[in-house]
Amino acid sequence: MVIIRSILIFLLSVNSLFAYQSEDALKVAVMGKIAKYISWPNETSSFTITILDNPFGKKVDIAYKGKKIDGKKIKIIYINNIKDLPQDTKILYIPKKDSYKLTTILQSISSKNILTISDIRGFAQKKGILQLYFLSRKLRLKINLGVAKKNDLQIRSVLLRIVKIVKDES
Amino acid sequence: MISRYFMLLFIPLFSIDLFADESLEDLMNVESEAKVDIGSRDGAKNYFDAKSAVDVITAQQIEQTGMSSLTNILRYFVAGFNAPNPSISDGSDHVRAFTLRGMSPDQVLVLINGKRLHTSALLHVNGTIGKGSSNVDLDTIAVDAIQRVEVLRDGAASQYGSDAIAGVINIVLKGYGNKNKVIIQGGERQKGQGKRKFISGFISIPLKYDGFINFTVDTIKSDKTQNAGLDRRLTPPVVSTHYGLPKATNYHLLMNAEIPLESGSLLYSNILLNKRASQASAYFRTPDPSRAIFPNGFLPMIHANIMDYSATVGMKGEIFNGIKWDLSQVIGQNSFAFGVTNSMNYDLNSSSPTSFNNGKLVFSQYTTNLDMKKQINDTIALALGAEYRVEKYNIYAGDKASYIDSGSQGFAGFQPANETNSRRENYALYVDTTFNFTPKLSTELAGRYEKYSDFGSTRNIKLAGTYKVTESFRLRTSASTGFRAPSLAQSNYSLTSTYSSGNTIKTKGTFKTTNPIAIKHGARALKPEKSQHLSLGGVYKGENYYFMADYFYTRVNNKVMLSGDIPINIGNITDMRFFTNAIDTKTEGVDLKGVYNYKMDDDKQLDITLWYNYNKNTILQINTPYITQANSLTALDRIENGQPKNSQRLLLNYKTVKYNVTYNFSRFGSYSQVVSGVSQRFDPVMISDAQLSYKITKRTNLSLGGNNIFNTRPNKWKNSGKFKGYNGILPYSNYSPIGFSGAFYYVKATMRF
Repeated sequence: MVIIRSILIFLLSVNSLFAYQSEDALKVAVMGKIAKYISWPNETSSFTITILDNPFGKKVDIAYKGKKIDGKKIKIIYINNIKDLPQDTKILYIPKKDSYKLTTILQSISSKNILTISDIRGFAQKKGILQLYFLSRKLRLKINLGVAKKNDLQIRSVLLRIVKIVKDES
Repeated sequence: MISRYFMLLFIPLFSIDLFADESLEDLMNVESEAKVDIGSRDGAKNYFDAKSAVDVITAQQIEQTGMSSLTNILRYFVAGFNAPNPSISDGSDHVRAFTLRGMSPDQVLVLINGKRLHTSALLHVNGTIGKGSSNVDLDTIAVDAIQRVEVLRDGAASQYGSDAIAGVINIVLKGYGNKNKVIIQGGERQKGQGKRKFISGFISIPLKYDGFINFTVDTIKSDKTQNAGLDRRLTPPVVSTHYGLPKATNYHLLMNAEIPLESGSLLYSNILLNKRASQASAYFRTPDPSRAIFPNGFLPMIHANIMDYSATVGMKGEIFNGIKWDLSQVIGQNSFAFGVTNSMNYDLNSSSPTSFNNGKLVFSQYTTNLDMKKQINDTIALALGAEYRVEKYNIYAGDKASYIDSGSQGFAGFQPANETNSRRENYALYVDTTFNFTPKLSTELAGRYEKYSDFGSTRNIKLAGTYKVTESFRLRTSASTGFRAPSLAQSNYSLTSTYSSGNTIKTKGTFKTTNPIAIKHGARALKPEKSQHLSLGGVYKGENYYFMADYFYTRVNNKVMLSGDIPINIGNITDMRFFTNAIDTKTEGVDLKGVYNYKMDDDKQLDITLWYNYNKNTILQINTPYITQANSLTALDRIENGQPKNSQRLLLNYKTVKYNVTYNFSRFGSYSQVVSGVSQRFDPVMISDAQLSYKITKRTNLSLGGNNIFNTRPNKWKNSGKFKGYNGILPYSNYSPIGFSGAFYYVKATMRF
């Protein structure tokens, strides 16, 4: 009895940081987190994250409601057509299900100073900028510096130490 | 007091704000939840969202077991998974039969990367768990090639086709980005027995667009173990026979590749190769001065030469508005060649050879699949598919000296009369739709039609649903019908074999169901086994723990099994038997599983898993006069009582940056075996496995560990007997869920580069 009680007290009293998280939760978290490592050329009053063909349900709203990046209020916009992309978009998330129209999407926003993020396989090599993928169930990042540069995005060197840099296959 | 603490467990903890609380580097150290691809066709699901009970065993967990056999790995992790180590059981010594929830080995479907894997050519026909069935040989797979193993604990024949009655095991191979790895492991059992060397290499070559081609190659060399008792037929009694694990050499080669194309489509392929040479003994043949060879007795050695391959090639992609398609072809073959050495054919006497080629069994399977699915909107997902499969089963005769007259001692060869070249084909059409009525209620309706060239068609259906009571608590249920096609081996196998009966050795013939003599005695073409399933359960998740409870019920009608021995007098054959749709059974039970993960703030983590399984098999009805309590007591008792009705697992893993400590406690409930017409009960057994790993350098780990570290052995027989008895040649039951070879200790080095 004493042993069981001790185990339960231990399990319930520990200040657990976090257990396993869903892949979606990690992807959503990294979208905002990555902004701290990147500088955009154009100043805007708010920080707009646009989600194309939203694969996350309400997770993005919940994660970023009332939050700020660089002192700017985060604005989340959901679109189903790339033509509806807001002008002030700083981050565009492209879901895996849009892989078949990726080339068209990327061409339409070329040189618009937008950080594109996706979990599409080979995204960084296919002229996307930041690719999210999972290795041994841990989130990993790939970045295409060539495309980032073309979009005038400045990447902090500290980020380059923890991401994999890929060559532009263009 | 205790109840108050349990109440605390059910208070959801506050949500962690990953964005606000964690740095990017911290985020990249968080493990995501394991997901499974099986059980539903509308995308991968975790334990909480799945409509049936699912479990995942990861590559990291496998590495902490120190095991090189997938069969042992599943026994280690999964309560309700049973895989004894029989001995002196002819081919069954070399291909491990395994069961899920106490059901038959052929009632588990095994997939590789979601595609059906072929079974072994071997049909278990001796007195072992799984007698009368052919199962997938899980040990044909190189364990270091595995990314994860998914276990679906539910009937799913209406989704995946034949065999998915007790559950489905999906083996997912390592994909992109895994580090190259070399493993060198050596170990032995007490008294220097059972030495095992395991060397494995994994290399991953990255391709464009995150494509890859991975190779895994390994070799496992295992020495035999010896647990035989004195042979009291001899004066003075001595240990004459080998009883334990066989001496075996295994080679695995595995390739897994994915080549993403510019268009977004994906070309994929995997090839599995396994070559195994294994040897184990038959019973010692006592001295006989009239024999020109071996007048002082001899111990026949049975050799199994197993070649197994499976090759998959396929392509998948997306067309139009999100219609995903997947077209694949899988070919697989398992061949099992028997040989006997240190033996003789009594009737040939002085002219008898001492080594025999006893023939070969070959099973081949060719499967073509087309799967299509589409998420129509937020509430409806639809999957459609078709499958075409060809199966072939061959028996090839051995040397004439191996089967003529009394045949080679230990294992008589297959005769020309046993030869078969059987073939069948089947096609299947399926539909699987998921409908989310409300954000809380999700349902799935699946149907599958199959037509087999040998026994006709079957239609099966599944209805499953989950209801989200709260954000943390979900109820789930499923009801389905299923089937298992009688294997070609069950319909076409025939052989004459020797076995021990009381204190004598007798000869019996296994006849095809189409054999005129068998037909005269009542044999009929086999029908499929039909099943009905019901499961009901729930899962509760907290911030860093979850708990699952699931009740299951499965009824199987027309289960195929060997008839009882029917006395005849043809040549030296004194008994005959054949396969028949013999009985109706029901299996019911519960699984209770709790998982707790505690990640500390200084890169330390503790994982605890507790799992209890209870299952009970009951024979509802005997459908044939050729199986009676009188002539099949052993077989009937084996189904109801031969396996533990309950089992428990406690898995503990504690890891830091430098250390990883794993402890696994397994308990298997009591089981029974009939000997000389009396059912004997064996006590529950408990074993502990442990491993300590230390990271010597960034790339090198050194591990010390053991399986069954306290050297637990099962009870011996209670009776006295020259063959099976506490003082006999076989002191232990072949049904023992932990084998009887005791502890195994090892040291292992792992290098990544």
